[in-house]
Amino acid sequence: MAKTIFRCLSVFFLVAVVGLAHGAERVLKVGVIHHSPPMSYLDASGALTGFNVEIMRELCNEMAARCETVTLTLDRVVDALAAGEVDFAAVSLLVTPERRARVLLTKPYYRSISVWFARPGIKPGEARVAVVKGSIQARYAQAHAWPMQPFDNHEAIFDALAAGRAEAALLPMANAVALRLDTRAPAQALASTVVQDPELAGDASLGVNPRDRALLDKLNDAIDEIKRDGRFDRINTRFIPFRLQ
Amino acid sequence: MTTPAKPADVHRTWRAGRVLLALSCVFAVVAVCGVGWLAVDLYAVGVAAGRLQGETVPWTIERQRLGRNLEQLRLEGQRVLTAPSPAGRQDALFLVHMLSAQPGMADDPRTASLAAEVERFLQQVEAPATPADMRAWEALSSRLRLMADDLSVDGGKRMSRELGRMSGEMAQASYKLLFNLALMAGFMVAFLLVVRRYLIRPLQRIRRVLSALDPRGPVPAFPPGPMAEIRAVEDAIVRFHATLLENDEVRLRLERLATTDGLTGLFNRHHFMALAADEMARAARYGRPITVGIADLDHFKQVNDSLGHAAGDHVLKTFATLLGDTVRQTDRVCRYGGEEFAFVFPETTPDEALLLGERLRARLFESPPVLPDGRRLAVSFSLGLADASGCGLEESLARADLGLYEAKRAGRNRTVVTRRPDGL
Repeated sequence: MAKTIFRCLSVFFLVAVVGLAHGAERVLKVGVIHHSPPMSYLDASGALTGFNVEIMRELCNEMAARCETVTLTLDRVVDALAAGEVDFAAVSLLVTPERRARVLLTKPYYRSISVWFARPGIKPGEARVAVVKGSIQARYAQAHAWPMQPFDNHEAIFDALAAGRAEAALLPMANAVALRLDTRAPAQALASTVVQDPELAGDASLGVNPRDRALLDKLNDAIDEIKRDGRFDRINTRFIPFRLQ
Repeated sequence: MTTPAKPADVHRTWRAGRVLLALSCVFAVVAVCGVGWLAVDLYAVGVAAGRLQGETVPWTIERQRLGRNLEQLRLEGQRVLTAPSPAGRQDALFLVHMLSAQPGMADDPRTASLAAEVERFLQQVEAPATPADMRAWEALSSRLRLMADDLSVDGGKRMSRELGRMSGEMAQASYKLLFNLALMAGFMVAFLLVVRRYLIRPLQRIRRVLSALDPRGPVPAFPPGPMAEIRAVEDAIVRFHATLLENDEVRLRLERLATTDGLTGLFNRHHFMALAADEMARAARYGRPITVGIADLDHFKQVNDSLGHAAGDHVLKTFATLLGDTVRQTDRVCRYGGEEFAFVFPETTPDEALLLGERLRARLFESPPVLPDGRRLAVSFSLGLADASGCGLEESLARADLGLYEAKRAGRNRTVVTRRPDGL
């Protein structure tokens, strides 16, 4: 009898300890994309970094969660979230009704616009446009029946533009700044225009597993906190030459 | 208002339980109202704090970000005008475009128009910049700086406005808290006063009355109070006092019945023997003289036979009254048998007792019993006395009885002292 009680207590104690430990540090799978400077890329030493990556690390810190990254391509992010392969994605998703219908989106953490790059004189839609598959820009080009040249990531577009394999590109604001300041690419030869269309601008949010509303709330609180205490701005300064707003 | 209060209502009483319940209810209602009144302010403080954290602080931080972007715009503008290479100028101009196009800049119409103006100016300036261009730029640059300061001021103002409002609400809440505490304290004091006046004080009075309660004393009186329970106890005490008095009277009556003779009112033989034994013991202890005696009415049977038992009883009562009036307070007398009476004379020698006996005889002779029809009866008695000091009671009474016998034999209506065999 005493033995049984002892066993029961031991099991209870073990479960409690494991439960507490689990509660203290949850392991989260975070989807990240590569080759998308300055948001998410491998630095000279081969380590993953970028604005979104560092923001993700601060959010995990704030939530006291251990985060493991899962590498994705942009066109897989929403599917992976919807399928529950990752808990959330450290990828700026411009808020669209389609995305909102499939996954949970955090409160906007900045707002973005889109920039058209081409040789001077070529207006948006007049040349075959390089876009990243799954991006809002790809969807826009498709919707407007622009001739389109899809790529897996932004660095591939930069390389193609530098090598002359692409003649125009439609990029989100942060990537556009990276392209402009990329010393490898002769981007200086390209003219840039901000495409003023509501479909190409707006709130950027992080995507969350649609079945994990609790995580969404925690992420929202964490975003508020790192914006309030200045950690957000410090990361901003490291990767982008002006304030994201 | 016009109807006078009924007499029954003048001393209306209340049950203590109900009074306490009513007081508690009033207290609870007042407390709940007070707490509710306070909660309104606490809620407002909570809302203000939430607004401060959720809206004002983020808004202020956004203003500062916008200010920094204006500063960045100024730096890039400076670079556009002073860049040594066309590539540097193009980079700077690109960032100028980005800064003025990015959505944050449009949050405030003043920054939107200023950024657009700066963008237009920088776009139309051709390298290298002329002194006139630089002067125009200085003016724009200064406006950018001031605008950044203005944004900062906006944030600060909103923040202090919110904080001021919040501290006002907090101050109000603390005044209300103080008021509530004072109210509770007042209620507590009032409650204690009510308890003291209507429960504790009456209880103390009851205790005093109970500890001094004497059936022979005055009937306890209580001022009319409003508490039903207290009143019930006080009424019970009054009834208790009446019962005690009644019991005491019954006890006295029973005692009299047990110790006295019903016809004459003198002690009965049983009680006399106990009293006499005490007197004998006292006399022996202090070596004092003591005398006992037995008297018998002469020819009493003839009175009974010729005049009836009622006349006999009358004679006995009259003689008993005479005895009561004549003997001293310390002497003990009882009806010993039918017409026999026994005496104990403490502190008295047989000779002194003899004088007492003779005095009694003279009194009986002077005031003989008178029947209801007016006839006077010549009644006499014979008395035997014996010295009882140093002897037993029974023995002394037996000797007194011998004296009585002697007196009867010698012709009645006389007193005979029986001397002790040792001649005393």
